[in-house]
Parts: sequence; structure tokens; C-alpha cells
Amino acid sequence: MREDMHARALELIDKMQVEGLALEERSELEAHLESCADCRTRSRETELALRVLRSAAPRLDGALVLRTQMRARVRALEIMEGAARMRALWISCTLSWVLGVVSAPLLWRGFEWIGHRWAISRPVWIAGFALAWVAPAVVAAAVIAWRQAGRTVTSGE
Amino acid sequence: MELATGWFMNAERQEAGELARGLRRRDPALIDDLIQRYQYRLFRYLVMITGSRADAEDLFQETWIRVLEKGHQYDHRWKFETWLFSIARHLAIDFRRRRQPQSLDELVQPTGTNRPLELEDTATSSAFEQVFQGEESASVANALAHLPPSYREVLTLRFHEDLQLEEIARVVDTPLSTVKSRLYRGLTMLRECLKDFYL
Repeated sequence: MREDMHARALELIDKMQVEGLALEERSELEAHLESCADCRTRSRETELALRVLRSAAPRLDGALVLRTQMRARVRALEIMEGAARMRALWISCTLSWVLGVVSAPLLWRGFEWIGHRWAISRPVWIAGFALAWVAPAVVAAAVIAWRQAGRTVTSGE
Repeated sequence: MELATGWFMNAERQEAGELARGLRRRDPALIDDLIQRYQYRLFRYLVMITGSRADAEDLFQETWIRVLEKGHQYDHRWKFETWLFSIARHLAIDFRRRRQPQSLDELVQPTGTNRPLELEDTATSSAFEQVFQGEESASVANALAHLPPSYREVLTLRFHEDLQLEEIARVVDTPLSTVKSRLYRGLTMLRECLKDFYL
């Protein structure tokens, strides 16, 4: 029976530090500690061990903090500039798409006229129209992909 | 009393919300302030998990850069330090993996494919001695070097950083039951290691 009480007290000593104790558990432990020197020693050892652990304070170089703050500022600037560039790119993409849609009928008529004028077969001038209409978007996408790939290689990701 | 608790919690939530908004904006002044505020805690955590001052210094910088870049991912329902330590931990694992690709298998738990990665133990007593100050440094360094990193990590998060068990589980990406068992086992090991110190 006494062994059981010891085991329970040891369990509660650790539980108090790790999870915390309910009120009844705390009173149970306190009552046991008052009458048991071994468990009191164990409780003291646990508290000391944790106090020693908490006293472990690594030295931190102030220059490292300053360097880190500087790097963070530079990176923040880079990200903001990148975001501004992307915004400009999106705006120009949207404008280009709108212009493309608006000018599509004109471009169609132009290709149709060229087809009649030089007796080019219908599938050929339609293919030419499609190419002319899609080409700017394809070139822009290729440039973005190329730049993105370059950035990934540079950052080593 | 309840009113005061409610007011305190509300203020805390509001502060976390403001922090999240600042991180989304990538506000450099906010990052400066966060670096100042959390410098010791982050560095101590990094030292504890890497056992190396040089690695901890490298990772210290990388962690803050990652905080800046991934600021929009911060979930303000969690404490900032939980997110910060979680980022630092992932970087430490990546760092170790890049440096020693041949030991990649050792980082992954042998059983179960979905188990989180573990940190590798490379710490020595002298590595910790270089980092800690004070009269007790040698004993503490020796004790810490004897603890496996996964135990050292949870002990630090619990007893240095005062994180709740759920928060620790989130940082180390491990079930709560595992965190508890590591804490109990780690506490026992720490007590054993420091026996000479207080006898």
C-alpha cells in the first residue's frame, strides 16, 4: 500500500510540472510530501533540475540581431519591388487582353482580305490570324516562365 | 474577474489580429520589433535543437527571412511564437538534410510514412558549453548534451517557453500523447543527468 502511495506521489510530482494538477491531486500530493522525506527529496530534485534548465541562457551576439534586421529590411524591399513589378505586369496583361478582344474583328477582317487578295486558302489565313492573336500572350508567358526559372536557380530553391 | 479575463483575451486577440495584418503587409518596422522581442527565445530554441552556435546563428537569420516571406500564412488564432518555432524547426530539419543528404533516412521515422521528421542528434557537451554562460554552464551543457534532441526540444518549449501542450504538439507536428510521453521521459532523464549537480 505504501509503495503504491510512493508511486502515485512520484507520478504526481512529474505531472505537476508537465500538465499541472487538479486541486484534489495537489492536496493529495502535499499531504504525502509532508510525511515522506524520500518523495520530498524527489520533488526538490525535480524543481532544481528545472531551475537549472531554465537558467541556461545562450549568449546572443548583438551584431547578429542587427545583421538580421538589415537583411529583413532588404528582403522586404525586394519583395515589395517584386510585387510592384507583378502588379504592373498584370495590368498590362489585362489591357493587352482587352485590346486583343476589341481588335479581334478588325484583325479577322484584315486576314480575310489578305486571303482573298493573294488567293490564300481559308484554313491557312485562319491559322495566321490565330497565331497573330495568340503570339503576344505566348511570348509574354515564355518570358515570365524564363525569368521565374532564373529566380528559382538564383535563390537555390 | 471574468470581465477582466474577457477584456484581456479580447485585447490579446486584437493584438494577434494586428500582428497578422502587419505580417501580411510585410511591414519592416513590425519585423524589426518582432526580432527585438523574440531574439533570445528563438536563439535559445535553435541552440537547443541544433546543439551548435554556428548553425543556430545561420538559422536565426533564415527564420526571420522566412517569417517575412510567409507572413501571410500566419494564423492569428495561434500564438506568434508557436508559428515562429514551427518555422525555425522546419528550417533546422531542411538545413540538416541539405548538409548531410546521406543521412536523410535517419531523419525519417522508420515506421509509418506520415510520421513527422525528427531532428538528428549532433550535439556534444562542448558545443553547448560554447553557448551557455554562467557558473552552471558546464553541468547544464553536459546534461543537455546527454538528452536526445526530441526530448531537449519539448523540455525547452515547455519549461523555457512556457508553451501549452497543444502548442508544443503543433510546433513539433506530433500527437499530443507523444509530446506528453516525451516530456515525462525527458524530465526523468534531465533529473538523472543533473543528479551530480545538486547532490
